[in-house]
Amino acid sequence: MRKINLWFSAIVMFMLFTLMACSSGEDEQVDVSSGDDENINPDVQEPAPFDGWVEGLPQITAPEGYDWKQFEGVELNFISENTPPSSAIAANIDLFEEVTGIKVNIEQTDLATVVEKAGLDFNAQSAKYHLVYADPYQILAKQSDHFFDLNQFIDEPTVPQIPGGLEDFPASQLEAAGYMGDKEELYTLPYDNPTMVLAYRKDVFEKYKDQFEEEMGYDWTPDEDMTWDEYYEIAKWITEKAEEGVITEVEYGTGHQAKQHDSLMNDFSNILAANGGDYFEKGDLGSIGSMDPGASAMDSEVAVESAEFYNKLLEVADPGSLSWDWSGVAEGFASGNIAMIPEWHEFSAMFEDESSSNIAGDVAWTTLPKGKERKAHMYGGTGIGINKYASEEEIKAAWLFIVWSTSPQAQYMILKSDEGGSTPTRNSVYELEDVQKGMQPGTPESEEMPNLLAMEATLKAWEPEYAYMRPKIPQWPQVDTFIFTELSKMLAGQQTPEEAVNEIAEQTNRLTNK
Amino acid sequence: MQINAEKSWSKNTDHHVKKKRRKFSTEFWMLIPSMVLLAIISIFPFLYLIYASFMDFTISFQRPEFIGLGNWIYVLSDSLFWSSWGRTILYVGVGLGLQLLIGVGMALAIYHLPKGKNIVVTLWMIPVFVAPVVAGLLGRYLLNSTYGLYDWFFSLLGMETQILGDTMTSMPAIILMDVWEWTPLITLIVLAGLNSLSSEPLEAADVDGANYLQKLTYVILPLIAKTIVVALLVRSMDILRFVDKIKIATEGGPADSTKVAGYYLMEVAFKFQDFGAGSVLGITMLIVTIFLGQFFVKFMMDKQ
Repeated sequence: MRKINLWFSAIVMFMLFTLMACSSGEDEQVDVSSGDDENINPDVQEPAPFDGWVEGLPQITAPEGYDWKQFEGVELNFISENTPPSSAIAANIDLFEEVTGIKVNIEQTDLATVVEKAGLDFNAQSAKYHLVYADPYQILAKQSDHFFDLNQFIDEPTVPQIPGGLEDFPASQLEAAGYMGDKEELYTLPYDNPTMVLAYRKDVFEKYKDQFEEEMGYDWTPDEDMTWDEYYEIAKWITEKAEEGVITEVEYGTGHQAKQHDSLMNDFSNILAANGGDYFEKGDLGSIGSMDPGASAMDSEVAVESAEFYNKLLEVADPGSLSWDWSGVAEGFASGNIAMIPEWHEFSAMFEDESSSNIAGDVAWTTLPKGKERKAHMYGGTGIGINKYASEEEIKAAWLFIVWSTSPQAQYMILKSDEGGSTPTRNSVYELEDVQKGMQPGTPESEEMPNLLAMEATLKAWEPEYAYMRPKIPQWPQVDTFIFTELSKMLAGQQTPEEAVNEIAEQTNRLTNK
Repeated sequence: MQINAEKSWSKNTDHHVKKKRRKFSTEFWMLIPSMVLLAIISIFPFLYLIYASFMDFTISFQRPEFIGLGNWIYVLSDSLFWSSWGRTILYVGVGLGLQLLIGVGMALAIYHLPKGKNIVVTLWMIPVFVAPVVAGLLGRYLLNSTYGLYDWFFSLLGMETQILGDTMTSMPAIILMDVWEWTPLITLIVLAGLNSLSSEPLEAADVDGANYLQKLTYVILPLIAKTIVVALLVRSMDILRFVDKIKIATEGGPADSTKVAGYYLMEVAFKFQDFGAGSVLGITMLIVTIFLGQFFVKFMMDKQ
């Protein structure tokens, strides 16, 4: 028996040592040069053979002599949230594969699963996923050490460079999506940029405009001057008139993404930030981010007021709001039940698609209402980065994919895609004439690129004084959960708004001081 | 003579021990591959789980820091830990109770069917073949307040309720999804037990003039009690672990009303990537599962 125990102990010890040996791997240096430096002339740039480039956009180029097929046969796995840009990229991936010979497998799933799978892959250092859709708050903030520094490619003259340079990305989006803690390393390039703005039923607002003005004394058309108090008043009026049978087009004035989900935090943040509040006392954690967020600011007076207002607003909203995330409220709005919703601008294509919407042609967009301090629009953009545990060859192949998929021409292709499209992360695309025309309702371009209908409001929302970026800190997944869970309890009537925000503050401080 | 006998006994004993040792040695070496495999897939992860419960992985997974009982104190002092176990007891208790009642009832009904048993069993078993994720999706779509069939049906009855958005109805909805999917499994196991019943006790009861209720209470149920316990054992372990439906349909909400211990564990370990606290939760879940299993096994042994 003693012999068996000895054997057992030996096996366990062997396994523990194996584990320790496996987990103490050091970073390997990657040579990012093209590998064929003798035949390459970095002084002369030649256009890449990708289809889809249009006049006016910066073109993808490579140094003279660069072999686009040098990674032929390499297989890359890209994990992404199931968002329109990834669907559009997947539908057009042959444009990339034909030129490079690189096979790209795109796995699309919900964001929570991307966070889980990418996290496990990073921690195991197995590089099952070579390319990662890196949500700045859920993934990059916590896992930035596992991403390859893209500056190494930017500093290397023998490989294709970012067309238009980093300057072609909106600066605030590059900071939020690309960096963590400081700007020494660039981990990702901006890939999509959903932002919350206000969608409303223009047919309803036009039809009952006079009646509302007569009763309430002001023009109710949602515009840049609308306040959150007015929003509540209008939503309540519509809901009551619908109950009385006066308004027949919709049943409720407003709808919200107030499920116990990340969406609830997003929805609430628009009001909190508009009132001058934030989640931490240390300001400006949203762009570059910080490893140390400091104390929670959720026990402030402005947080209590914002929670009270949000609670009041949900009382006049479509009751389905409590079970809706962003997709749920979009479906509710598209069904024709609701007059206005704060929503991610990328849902414009869905609202204009007659196969999924009863309100195609009746939707208008504007910025979100003003709070006590300002207008605030939650930014939800994401970048794509390279898993640093991939092999040297895979990392180089992944760089080509990033250059192509974030290029102006690929972003323009995504915008025009039948897959619903997303709006480009490149300034240069918005300067194209047809894109400018597409922002105007009723133009052929707006029918071809329906996401552009929300762009005038969205471009305004991206301005620094209007944008809101949630804290980019390693603890964000937990803090986010505290926020939406306690708010959900508040909406369920289990606690007061004051109790909810105090609980968020207490849990957050407990976590950050853990 | 006595000395010879003692010598002979001693010789025999030595020979027997040697033979046993040789035999044991062979068995031991033959067992080594399976023991190594068991160590890899079971013992080693368990030891690692214990090790991880004393480490802090939140800053770096590669270089965790030893924090003693930090994770244990953090988890055990968290009210969510205790409330999630409270909801788990409700979820498991009501869910298993309903599955037992309906499953055994259905098994008895099918057992007494004069014909067409196979087709009824096949149809009744369909939900078991549906993946739990799909069952969650089905539930979410059917209960969706915009286009859900059940929601539409309730609105026809004048009931304006958001089933998955209401703290009073979300947990019952999740329990019913589980009941819908897994009751047929209980039926199948119990039906197997019924089919293996000997006919003599039932014939004896008939001779004694027992009615059906008496036969059910005093003959059938006692005879299939062990089978029922096996079915409960299997289901109790699964219901503790499976959180697919909750993940898809409610994500633990609203107001944490469907956040059971298994979902909480998944959230901490995989969403927060806090493997230290996740390990503590995993160990507590393992302990509960072992106790539950032991309870059913003991019940079964007592019956034997």
